[in-house]
Amino acid sequence: MSISPATLRLRTALFWAVPVLACALPLATNPYTQFVLNSMLISTLLTLGFNMVIGSLGQLAFANVAFFGLGAYASVIAMNDLGLPWLATIPLSGLVGAAGGFLASAVALRGIRLYYLAIVTLAFGELLRWLYIHADRLTGGTDGLAIPREGFLGFRLGDDTAQFYVFLAVTVVLVKGTLNLLRSRLGRSIVAVRENEIATASLGIPTARVIVTAFMWSGFLVGVAGALFAAHIGRVFPESFGLTQLIVGFAMVLVGGTGSVLGSVLGAVLLTALPEYVRAFPGMEEIFFGLVVIVVLLCLPQGLASLLRRLSPVFLERHFRE
Amino acid sequence: MTELLTVEGLGVRFAGLTALDDVSFRLSEGQVRAVIGPNGAGKTTLFNAISGYVRPTSGRVLLRGQDVAGDSPHAIAGHGIRRTFQNGGLFPALTVLENVLTGLTTETPGSFLDLLLGRRRALEAERAAIAKARALLELMSMGHMADARAGSLSGGQQRIVEIIRTVASEPPVLLLDEPAVGLSPVARAQMMEIIARLTGEKGVAVLLIEHAVELVMASADRILVMAAGKRIAEGTPDEIRADRAVLEAYLGHA
Repeated sequence: MSISPATLRLRTALFWAVPVLACALPLATNPYTQFVLNSMLISTLLTLGFNMVIGSLGQLAFANVAFFGLGAYASVIAMNDLGLPWLATIPLSGLVGAAGGFLASAVALRGIRLYYLAIVTLAFGELLRWLYIHADRLTGGTDGLAIPREGFLGFRLGDDTAQFYVFLAVTVVLVKGTLNLLRSRLGRSIVAVRENEIATASLGIPTARVIVTAFMWSGFLVGVAGALFAAHIGRVFPESFGLTQLIVGFAMVLVGGTGSVLGSVLGAVLLTALPEYVRAFPGMEEIFFGLVVIVVLLCLPQGLASLLRRLSPVFLERHFRE
Repeated sequence: MTELLTVEGLGVRFAGLTALDDVSFRLSEGQVRAVIGPNGAGKTTLFNAISGYVRPTSGRVLLRGQDVAGDSPHAIAGHGIRRTFQNGGLFPALTVLENVLTGLTTETPGSFLDLLLGRRRALEAERAAIAKARALLELMSMGHMADARAGSLSGGQQRIVEIIRTVASEPPVLLLDEPAVGLSPVARAQMMEIIARLTGEKGVAVLLIEHAVELVMASADRILVMAAGKRIAEGTPDEIRADRAVLEAYLGHA
């Protein structure tokens, strides 16, 4: 289906309308709903990063969720030990996550793929968690680390509304950046590697560099999400970054739609919001979460994004940009 | 005619098995050389050795006099030797246009930051690549399929798109691995026309593996016949038709 210039303009307008309208949301929130909204933005970045390797590149690299913890710890340690303001730790956490992505890509480049990559990277994530517990001089062990109370230039980290605007700005910039990448020759190359790595190389595309870049950008996004998470919770401890986090991230990718930026946003928002509705009933959250995943995947195996794509070409995601 | 590709004494040995044994030939601008032979003759191994997918254990592959043997596949493709695949190498989830654009990747400059930030430099390169890809698709009467998913095309259309993608960056040397396999007579005729245009108008040197005899006889300038990893005959189509060794390789001893 070809996309007309009018549709393209509508798409651009829709893209920017979402964050502009979101700016008004804190007017209508209470402290609890504001907290949930902030969680959604963090989940969006986490899912966006995870989807990059799982969906677009098609590699079961589970370590990339572990970089969430890496980013969170990096942010808190940089604040406590280096005295950096929180805002400055955001790009730093991104770079730490990207470094983690670089290491994980080295495993994939050794020819360890699919289920083998899944197990190796799972073990890597658990190893990191072990490190958070045992490197207690740096990480505070099982108690974790608290973030300093006062922020930068009077910016109080504890203020959820102020956080919201920072989170929103960071998320919008990184979603836009990721869209730019996916619509460029790099995005095409990433999908090409997933579809047929041998044929990709035959076009003069350095497949190893493509894989490393995708892993690193994924790690960057997840690392940044970690820095936001640290400010959001006010404390980091090992239990936040275990298998549950991986399963939630994976579910968000699948429910939203693999390889889709729109899907990452939808999956993160839906699976953060829905369990909150049953929070009043203990134990129901997990069951409800599981039910939502099953129902969506049964009805829409390609995820929520595929439903919108069917409704209007505005939601088509393509890998080029005119 | 300029000599583009020179293969000298190329050999591939896997642990005791000789898959390719001392094969040599030359390929000039605008020339079509067919490689024929029974299954297991080493034709695809020859392609893999030239294009870097298998490391040759002996011999040289010269592109315009420069030895490229042993380079990685993407480096060899970057030098200008490009190939297609016997079982099809399209990316099914990408559209036809996006597939052709992947063939123009080396022609689309821009650093990571240019792409990330959507800088003008990167966007202009992207637009130029799209214009070129669309023009190529139009030229090959595939313009109307530009936005279709490659996976939804018929086998014949996929073969044609794969060739368009492979020649998009205008490589001087093209390796076609059974481009006509599974094609209808109409598509086969179209394929022959495309090959003729590439060699005649663009001066591309084509190395062609093909079982369809009429395609080989009609489009090849010279034919290399292989059996059991060795060259057993070489010559014009007429010479090959009359060659005893060839008949024996195909039909067994009479």
